[in-house]
Amino acid sequence: MGWRKFFYRVGQPSVYVSLVLLVLLGAATQFVQQPFCLNILVLILFYAAASSAWNLVGGYAGQLSLGHAAFFGIGAYCSTLFYLNFGLSPWLGLVVGGFAAAVFGVGISYPCFRLRGPFFALATIAIAEVMRILSLYFEKVTNGAVGLLIPFKPGIVNFLFRDKAAYAFIAYLFLLIVVGISFMIERSRSGYLLCALRNDEIAAEAAGVNTARFKLFVMIISAFLTAAAGTFYAQYSSFVDPDTAFSIHFSINLAMVSIIGGMGTIIGPILGSFILTPLDHILRGWLGGFSAGLSFAVYGLALILVVTYLPDGIIKWLRQGLFPLIEKLPRVRWSEKPSAAQLQLASSGPFLYPGREVLPLLSARNLSKSFGGLTAVRNVSFEIKQGEILGLIGPNGAGKTTLFNLISGFLKPDSGSVVFQGGEITHLHPPHRVVLTGISRTFQIVRPFNNLRVIENVMIGGFKSSRKVAEVEEKADQILAIVGLSRYRNYMASNLSVGDRKRLELGRALATDSKLLLLDEVMGGLNPHEVTEMIQVLKSIAQNGVTLFIIEHVMKAIMMLSHRIVVLQNGEIIAEGGPQEIGSNRKVIEAYLGEEYLNVTAR
Amino acid sequence: MLLNIFQLLINGVLLGGIYAMVSIGLTLIWGVMQIVNFAHGEFLMIGMYLTFWLFQLYGIDPYLSLLVVAPALFVLGVITQRLVINPVLNAQETSQIFSTVGLSILLQNLALFFWKADYRTLRMPYSLPNIKFQGLIVSFPRLMAFIITLLMVIALFLFLKKTFWGKALRATVENKRSAQLMGINIKRFYYLALGLGIACVGIAGATLMPMYPVFPTTGTYFVLTAFVVVVLGGMGSMAGAFIGGLIIGVVESFSGFLLAPVLKEVTYFLVFIMILVLRPSGLLGKERQ
Repeated sequence: MGWRKFFYRVGQPSVYVSLVLLVLLGAATQFVQQPFCLNILVLILFYAAASSAWNLVGGYAGQLSLGHAAFFGIGAYCSTLFYLNFGLSPWLGLVVGGFAAAVFGVGISYPCFRLRGPFFALATIAIAEVMRILSLYFEKVTNGAVGLLIPFKPGIVNFLFRDKAAYAFIAYLFLLIVVGISFMIERSRSGYLLCALRNDEIAAEAAGVNTARFKLFVMIISAFLTAAAGTFYAQYSSFVDPDTAFSIHFSINLAMVSIIGGMGTIIGPILGSFILTPLDHILRGWLGGFSAGLSFAVYGLALILVVTYLPDGIIKWLRQGLFPLIEKLPRVRWSEKPSAAQLQLASSGPFLYPGREVLPLLSARNLSKSFGGLTAVRNVSFEIKQGEILGLIGPNGAGKTTLFNLISGFLKPDSGSVVFQGGEITHLHPPHRVVLTGISRTFQIVRPFNNLRVIENVMIGGFKSSRKVAEVEEKADQILAIVGLSRYRNYMASNLSVGDRKRLELGRALATDSKLLLLDEVMGGLNPHEVTEMIQVLKSIAQNGVTLFIIEHVMKAIMMLSHRIVVLQNGEIIAEGGPQEIGSNRKVIEAYLGEEYLNVTAR
Repeated sequence: MLLNIFQLLINGVLLGGIYAMVSIGLTLIWGVMQIVNFAHGEFLMIGMYLTFWLFQLYGIDPYLSLLVVAPALFVLGVITQRLVINPVLNAQETSQIFSTVGLSILLQNLALFFWKADYRTLRMPYSLPNIKFQGLIVSFPRLMAFIITLLMVIALFLFLKKTFWGKALRATVENKRSAQLMGINIKRFYYLALGLGIACVGIAGATLMPMYPVFPTTGTYFVLTAFVVVVLGGMGSMAGAFIGGLIIGVVESFSGFLLAPVLKEVTYFLVFIMILVLRPSGLLGKERQ
């Protein structure tokens, strides 16, 4: 980032207000004297940082972990054991524990990331529980349920301080680091891609996003940071035992702080911690004398109420009330808004008329796929030539979408092969690997990323070929112009009409810069006027050198667009040829309209 | 040695019956609503306390108290559905998960508030004497638990297959929209599902009382095992929960003998993770597209 850009950003109210707040928070760590308040401040900062670390996996990647205590405990035990047994400074222990937790995170990701929603949460609970039991079992190392006491020898190297303000300051720095990392992730390509995969993993794969890699990436960072929090907590309380280090309540607490503040946002966990941590202490002080359970019961009730009535967290209120007010603050102008580098329009390649001399772009050989007893695709072979528009028609249930799924890597064929540009792509899995070779698809039942804006939906596809956000945004704008969605640029995708969602689906596929687009009924549900528009759009796309393979029920469209048409019935190809040929083919009419119709017209 | 193996097998199967009993309600609720009831263990705890107090205050035998506990928990389930589950039925996953997590925290701590952290046990005359047969020892309450589980599974099975309400419930499981189009008021069946699910775990609570102590976090111990059982058997499959329960029971019994009793949970959590890797849909679960 250049200085000009930096100063431009700092001049914005939302940026300088947050910076001022952060500085004030830092100052607070040095000015608060009263031990009770200082302790609460340390815990607020600690939970804000630890929950921000959780938020990377739970919020940004949408994987609701309830087992982060496993990382926390690994961090706490690693640094403490190395310190007690080998005299290793806890600062180095923190790094060792962080790496250990990161490796552990990679290990558990393999089985756990196959699971969705509640099952992921269950698996992570089980893993943290295993760690707790193991730490109880290996008594010789961990001292079992008694726990480990860290002898108090103050000093920077020992990570032990007489003055609690030192811990407050360290927690503050830790929070800054975690927030900084979250900020970098949110603003980069990864932020967009994580948001997309949280929305709809399948659609993200179709847009070329390596979902497994991004989930793993945030898991590693989150594990490391959570382990670091573990070291900090062990040093702060000079004590580790299995029940605090691997406690499920700690895991729930991390999640709860983020949820109450607002998951998948940077300030959510900070906000949540500022509310929950003091509340927790006050409730415990106030109700604690009365009864042990009551304060936690209130906690549980609060969690139910928040997720039910304020699922987006308290940040939602701020977005409606406070943020617009902050934006009204004066804007400091140190420099003008730097203009993004101008990007050239996509070059229009030559429109190749299909002929015998043109090499096949894709060839499918003897593809078959059955589901149980039903054979959806039977021994299908065909070729798509460079630059052509190939139509695929057939009655409902003929196997058209299955054929698309086989080519695009969403299904594995039972037999047969698919060769694209001379390379075999038959067994590429998961689907984003097919996208990387240059094939992308749309879905018959559209799958927009509902929580992203229209422009961002298209950008997700664009990140395949570039990492630079500004560059990708520019390109996405051009694509919006092509598919005719420019005026809805900043709408949330969920607000689009059916027809516009189809366009969006097309735009996202287009953004991947693919050589071959598989379009599954992009005209279904459009009115006649919109169909005519869409035909023009597809024609202009084809003229730019993109090869199209389209499933369509709108006959007018398919007849006007296609150079060739393949007809599928009961999973088999029954005819292949130019539009005229197909239109008068006896078998095709029979397949679509039934034998009776044929008899009637013959009479 | 052979006798030992037989003994372990019997212990395992009987223990498995208990696990199956706790799990059946969980799998039923998932099957109908696709909601994992994280507070399931707390309802078990409530069932146990209810049984405990019924005996302490009125001298009602635990097995007899089933007649009170089951309907009481059915009602509690319906109330829970109304207050906690219904508002999040169409909400995002986070809300669905954390509303029952919150309920679990709430119920656990209310129990702590009302009944303190003390372990409470019910020593019945039949708690101790075991049935001896050819050198094998069978604990009476465990045998009872196994029989009651079996009856429960059969009753649920008959209810689902033979009665109109059961058929409608199955239709709701298969396809909510179509069920609605056929004139089924699916909300009503959600109440029924949660009521039945919670009643099942209430029965489990009453049956467990003669052998296990009750305290506010009893549920946590059982519910983690129940999750493993349900995933192993296949989410939503009643028969799967039964078989899964038996498998986990046998695994626990053998690993407790061969390794160390403390490590039994580690063993079946490893089994759990292996299943997740090899067959995420579980033994009898349906493959999802």
